[in-house]
Amino acid sequence: MNITTYYWERIKGHRLAMSGLAFIIFLILLAAIGPFFTVSPTVVNFDEKNLPPIGFSVEQSKFSSEAGSLITTHVRGKWEHPLGTDGMGRDLLSQLISGTRVSLLVGLFATGLAIIIGAMVGVTSAYFGGIIDNILMRFTDIMMTFPFLLLLILIVYMFGSSLTLIILSIGLTGWTGTARLVRSETLSLRTREFIMASKALGASDFRIVFHHLLPNTISSIIVLATLTIPGAILAEAALSFIGLGDPQVASWGNILNAGQNDIQTAWWIAVEPGIMLFLTIISFNFLGEGLRDAFDPKSE
Amino acid sequence: MESILSVENLKTYFFTKKGTVKAVDDISFDLRKGELLCIVGESGSGKTVTALSILRLIESPGKIIDGRIILNGRDLPGLSPGQMQDVRGNKIAMVFQDPHSSLNPIFTIGYQVDEAITAHKSVNENETTSKSIELLELVGIPMAKERYHDYSHQFSGGMKQRVVIAMALACHPEVLIADEPTTALDLTVQAQILDLFLELRNKFFMSIIYITHDLAVVSEIADSIVVMYAGRIVEKGSREDIMSNPLHPYTKGLIRCLPSDHGEIVPIPGTIPNLINLPQGCVFHPRCIHSMEICRKKRPSLNMVKEAHYVSCFLYGDNHE
Repeated sequence: MNITTYYWERIKGHRLAMSGLAFIIFLILLAAIGPFFTVSPTVVNFDEKNLPPIGFSVEQSKFSSEAGSLITTHVRGKWEHPLGTDGMGRDLLSQLISGTRVSLLVGLFATGLAIIIGAMVGVTSAYFGGIIDNILMRFTDIMMTFPFLLLLILIVYMFGSSLTLIILSIGLTGWTGTARLVRSETLSLRTREFIMASKALGASDFRIVFHHLLPNTISSIIVLATLTIPGAILAEAALSFIGLGDPQVASWGNILNAGQNDIQTAWWIAVEPGIMLFLTIISFNFLGEGLRDAFDPKSE
Repeated sequence: MESILSVENLKTYFFTKKGTVKAVDDISFDLRKGELLCIVGESGSGKTVTALSILRLIESPGKIIDGRIILNGRDLPGLSPGQMQDVRGNKIAMVFQDPHSSLNPIFTIGYQVDEAITAHKSVNENETTSKSIELLELVGIPMAKERYHDYSHQFSGGMKQRVVIAMALACHPEVLIADEPTTALDLTVQAQILDLFLELRNKFFMSIIYITHDLAVVSEIADSIVVMYAGRIVEKGSREDIMSNPLHPYTKGLIRCLPSDHGEIVPIPGTIPNLINLPQGCVFHPRCIHSMEICRKKRPSLNMVKEAHYVSCFLYGDNHE
């Protein structure tokens, strides 16, 4: 049996992981094709502000020019805006889809960057050992002692808040765990006889690191990456929530931030991105757990 | 016959926190073309360190502190790391003890044999594949073409060791070092692997250093024998000399440990000494039944007692360092 088929068979039995995976696939589809079917998230329409989602109705007071005073009416959700609108009448569904794009971008690229840096640092450290190991690991320790969010806030505050910069700073600060994991895995791998055997057959250091050490750590890296993605998504959301996100894009954190003031009159603005965040993060976590179980030979 | 590999006064020490471990202490031997040389000794006698020193694969805190290793007139310790990398696998290849861990579990064995070929030669993919299959057939893997795509866990121990040998043969090395290649295998498989080594020697006139602690194996295959004890050579000579006319008390003791039709198994009393704290004089004297006054004081040198038969013992002449 092919090794990929083997792992697929194993993870297929893990129900939570499969539902996580299903939701993640749904998110990816949503982010990829959603924008073609929804209105622009930036269209402002004050006549339809604070519309509730379909199936809900709220009482709203509006100034009526005919009556010349405030009148209170029942407002129902409209099919044009299935998830309602925000305080400026912008469609929430399309905002959430835009937010999905942002979150997935952040999750994938920031994690990718963190994993690449971490794997390089970890494998170099373990393979060469000695003084190189010492320097790299002490640097990792220093990175770990910084409060992660504070560091992010500082970077964004100093250099401005574009999405690219946010991705870069999450990636450049989030590699420490990977570095440690890859280092410890490599340390145990490098004493294995096949590493010595490939050396004895004349393999170069480069070849040993990239053809023998790193591929053997790939299952742990995949698990760790899956579990790092929600952290990156949350970090971006947290930054946006406190107003340090990229103001050009509608991310879940931005919507949450905008919705928190109106939580009493228009609860859905804050609740909807909250639900999306919750589901996304829990899906990645479930998938990560499932992968961990599938890759762990001891869980058989 | 000309000598292809000469080890001269090799000293490899390990500098540990507890003290200096003299794992290999001043050993010399020659390997001739087409010769199968066996290095025999107990665990910790420095056999593997000798092999790794030849390939310069000694890792910190170990270090080759003295000696020359001459392969076809080239002094290996004097080569740059890049040149040395080209010697490994290409001129000298090594087969390790445990076939279960000598193969990378996540690649097919075909990929790994390919890798051993392309490490030193740039050949196109098709050629490499057919060469690999040829090698696998050579070492006796049935249905090599199909098994090329299998992973190491789909092979039995003996088959894995054949794959490892195929990898070692990939670049037609002049010297093959086998470090206890049959220790992890069961007896019937062991005999097959031994046959394979003999076949390689006879077919390709390959020079082989075979490291083992098993005298029964040695008596089957060796052309010449080097007996090591505590990092030193106590006796070396041809198979006939060593097996039928052993001189050193340690060699005699080893042979008495072999089960035979006549006589009982007589173990050698005591254990191998701590390499950090070696006894004064002859390293074997605390376990030696012929121990004399001089053995406690002076270290015997390796002397020729007859043509190509050397022994390091005061019972045979009184030379010392």
